[in-house]
Amino acid sequence: MSRRRHLVEHLTRYRYDAPVEAVYNRGFLRPRETGTQRVLTSELLVRPEPDQLTEHLDYFGNRSTYLETRSPHTEFEVLCRSTVEVDQPLPDLNRLNRHTVGQAARELAEVGDPALLADFGLPSPLVAIGDAVRAYASAVLAPDRPLGDALAALSTGIHHDFEYRTGATSVATTLEELLTLRSGVCQDFAHLAAGCLRSVGLPARYVSGYLETDPPPGGEKLRGADASHAWVSVLTPALGWIDIDPTNAQFTDSRYIVTAWGRDFTDVSPLRGVVYTEADQSELTVEVDVTPLDNP
Amino acid sequence: MSVQVASGVIDAYRAHPAHSGYDELAGPHGVRPHQSALGETIESLGLSGLLAARAEARGFVVDEGVVYGSPVQRTSRLWNIDPLPVVLDPAEWAQLEAALDQRSRLLDLVLTDLYTDRTLLRRRVIPAAVVLGHPGFVRQADRIGPAHGRHLLLTASDLGRDDSGAWRVISDRPQAPYGAGYAMVTRRIVSRVMAGLHRTSDLARLRGFFHAMTTALLDAAPHHAEQPRVVVLSPGSASETAFDTSFASTMLGFPVAEADDLLTSHGRVWLRAGQRLEPVDVVLRRVEATMSDPLELRGDSQLGIPGLIEAARNGQVTIANPIGAGVLDNPALLGYLEPVAQALLGEAPLLTSPATWWCGSPSALSHVIAHLDQLVIKPLSRGTAPVVYGWELSDRAREGLIARLRAEPWLWCGQEPLELSTAPVVTAEGLEPRRFVLRAFGVAAGAGYTFLPGGLGRVAGTTGERTVTSRLAKDVWIPSQGTRLAPLAPARPRPVVISPPARVAPRVAGRLFGIGGHAERAESTARLVKIADDLAEDYSSRSDSPGALAMASLIQAVVATTGVEPQEWEPRVDYLRRAVLDAGSPGSVGARAEQLVAGAQHVRDLLSVDTWSVFGRLERTLADDLAPDDQLQPLLDDVLESLLAFAGILSQSMVRDSSWAFLDAGGRLERATRTAVLLRQTLSDPAAGDLVAESVLRACESIITHRRRSAAGTGPSEPRESALVLLVRDDTNPRSIAHQLLSLAADLRLIGDETLAGQADSLRERLDSLPLDEPGDWLDRLTDELAGLGARLAARHFVPQATRHLAESFGWGGRS
Repeated sequence: MSRRRHLVEHLTRYRYDAPVEAVYNRGFLRPRETGTQRVLTSELLVRPEPDQLTEHLDYFGNRSTYLETRSPHTEFEVLCRSTVEVDQPLPDLNRLNRHTVGQAARELAEVGDPALLADFGLPSPLVAIGDAVRAYASAVLAPDRPLGDALAALSTGIHHDFEYRTGATSVATTLEELLTLRSGVCQDFAHLAAGCLRSVGLPARYVSGYLETDPPPGGEKLRGADASHAWVSVLTPALGWIDIDPTNAQFTDSRYIVTAWGRDFTDVSPLRGVVYTEADQSELTVEVDVTPLDNP
Repeated sequence: MSVQVASGVIDAYRAHPAHSGYDELAGPHGVRPHQSALGETIESLGLSGLLAARAEARGFVVDEGVVYGSPVQRTSRLWNIDPLPVVLDPAEWAQLEAALDQRSRLLDLVLTDLYTDRTLLRRRVIPAAVVLGHPGFVRQADRIGPAHGRHLLLTASDLGRDDSGAWRVISDRPQAPYGAGYAMVTRRIVSRVMAGLHRTSDLARLRGFFHAMTTALLDAAPHHAEQPRVVVLSPGSASETAFDTSFASTMLGFPVAEADDLLTSHGRVWLRAGQRLEPVDVVLRRVEATMSDPLELRGDSQLGIPGLIEAARNGQVTIANPIGAGVLDNPALLGYLEPVAQALLGEAPLLTSPATWWCGSPSALSHVIAHLDQLVIKPLSRGTAPVVYGWELSDRAREGLIARLRAEPWLWCGQEPLELSTAPVVTAEGLEPRRFVLRAFGVAAGAGYTFLPGGLGRVAGTTGERTVTSRLAKDVWIPSQGTRLAPLAPARPRPVVISPPARVAPRVAGRLFGIGGHAERAESTARLVKIADDLAEDYSSRSDSPGALAMASLIQAVVATTGVEPQEWEPRVDYLRRAVLDAGSPGSVGARAEQLVAGAQHVRDLLSVDTWSVFGRLERTLADDLAPDDQLQPLLDDVLESLLAFAGILSQSMVRDSSWAFLDAGGRLERATRTAVLLRQTLSDPAAGDLVAESVLRACESIITHRRRSAAGTGPSEPRESALVLLVRDDTNPRSIAHQLLSLAADLRLIGDETLAGQADSLRERLDSLPLDEPGDWLDRLTDELAGLGARLAARHFVPQATRHLAESFGWGGRS
């Protein structure tokens, strides 16, 4: 797939039944620059106007946004609108297959950056590696299996074994529980894939971003129908980081837009807030639109 | 040298079977030279003298209310002090200080590297997983450094001796170092208990360390702060180390603040001071890192401030110790400090730790498993798993542990056990050698660090224990070497400013107001019961007499005041006893006293230290079992004496600022309300007898004024009328409602609330309309007005921040 340009609009809106006194937010909403992705424009619109908006590059190199709003309000909105250009080729499986899973893990342990190996090789808050994860991983990521085939098998395996269902899991769901439930959403599948890869010695990071979805056959694309997405990226000796989307059983291509990566969801939650209010009810709306632009 | 006076205590100590390794007091050749004065004191006191000293120390601990554990949740235990200090040879201490200084400088460099370039990890000087797999490594704190000065402002290390007597580091505790306050209070008590020895020993003083800390914290402020403001961020009076926190804050001269007292706005941290916000430049953090910012770290934390980390990142506030310093509290790190010292300082470490093997390295894991029965197995992160002594394991436990080590080796390390020295502990059977650990405290100063001379000593709970987990404290004495530390000059000049009156946070204001109210409630109830009991003792058998009617009336007032209901057929004296002592009834005198003491725990740093001995006496009085024949009067006198002593402390030793004003206002409003209710209850009826009125005057401490005025003809001679006039509208009577309202108005002006002060004034004006014939409805309306004033005061001054919620969504995902 060749180079593509996208307009990404990500709107988060909270409505409350009583005034909010103050709200503080940490967001990972802006796409990041990568070897295959360029950010052409990016703007952040916040209502009510925040008292403070600061940004920095975080530990993982992500663009991290801090928002502080102390004017009373009952509706709070953050819209991030960006245009990006992605040129993500599919990985060369033959080159990946020159290593087995075991060889790749050993080679990385010897020559890799120790900090990267530790950050993305150890368990993390939402990627605990227990016996069930090891057992699930060992079936697909056998040490003597060619790496490219094994990665493809991991991705198609999760897609096959798990039902895509929203509401079945939460931020507190462990991988062990997920393996019993056999259903979840993209974040869960990304966490599981990361756990499997780390369990066999392959460093894996959680990637947060978007996917341009095709409209239903014959239909117009609906506004707000897209969603935030998450997948996993694995370090390989031959090709560096390779992104795999177990939710859709494929390697990523130019339809995938990266916002941030970390050890798991907790490092890169798109928008997290601490709200001071006596309101009992809040209503959350998230709308994401990924629109193809005239491609160069 | 040996000691000549012989009570034999030391000989018996040296003959103790557990006196076998390195002992602080006596070596193989007798009492160590630098301990000779202590040895002589021990011999001259003898065992009975030593036990008396121990009891005396206990008494001081009780009087000062020195506790460890949560005083609010009533899980606290009294701080436990052995009266014998451990004296360290000053030459040895000087060496140890130099070694600690080097170590602190090293840890500061390590911390800086770990939160910037991580060269130590990339060059594999430290295995990356030792650091990056440790929960104390806070990625959100990456590249947040101080604008100037050191990263690691405060240090605390636990030290112990090996079998040769050399000091070794057991662990570093830089997360939120506590204990210097306990060391100071231990010194204060031991120096009184061992007054003679203390007077003749020229000791290095502890106070200078707190001065150094004050200076270091002020100097750590961001550059923009001309007159830096420091707060001590406390997890609250329910935390285990609340005593140490409030004690240290008093020593340092910085206010204690809890989460509700602080907020971030426009990227800065502010203290909610009255109705204003005052900028905060430095936060001395007593809240664990993961709890300190719910936006970035644990979202369920109620102890932190959202935006704190961002403010630090942008150089708007300095946090000491910085968030993330807890990564140094890591036993596996100890195993790598030698190469780290070479890499960062080009020096060998002067102070080392017992040999440590990090299980994340395969060869170390094999070594640890092969030598399990000789090693101490520790989790990398304190508290995530118990420390295990390999030699104590059953076969099954051993297999279980090995399986855990193999499953997650990077989370564990094995360490050679440290022998530890012994020090004498006073027990009823004589001196006992117990293993001794020293916590040393340091603070960045000048080119290095300065240390609390000595530190906080602790000894094991029994002779057999090889580790020190108890909280039996030892004062550690360093004889002065004649050189006094010159006070450190602050790094930059600070203007001296006459500050406006200190304003307190709404939480603190509410607590102080509550304390004033609790004290008044306890006192007025005790007075009322005292008068009722007096009548009951005299008249309970003569049912129709005026005395019996007065008693009945006063008992009704006790019921209305305490909410404690009399049982049918219950003798009146027994009922009154319950109204005092039944702490289970929230309105009893005992319960009111408990509420007072509990309330005071929340603002410990604002109250004089004398408060606690008064409260100790109050609690002891009320905890006494009263024999059935004992009279209630002496007990009530003791209670009143304690409450008066408390009132005396407040009036004699508190500066008249807004803290005092809130405390006073709480008492004033309460007394006005109580008096109105009592008068309503007893004197509404114009036919109320003279004895009732006189009893009320006695309960309100106004009987003498009444008699004097009525004799001189300057007041009504009829007791009921006199009581109403004296207790409602006489401005000069300190017990009158009018006086309370005038004082309340003055308090409110001190607080800066002219609106409510005006309302208190106009309420005072209305008192002149008191109808003497039928005052019942009028008094009811007055009570309502007072309650309304109290509610408006709370709504204007005690409002906490709104309830905090975490907003985050999870559970979506594109599937094409």
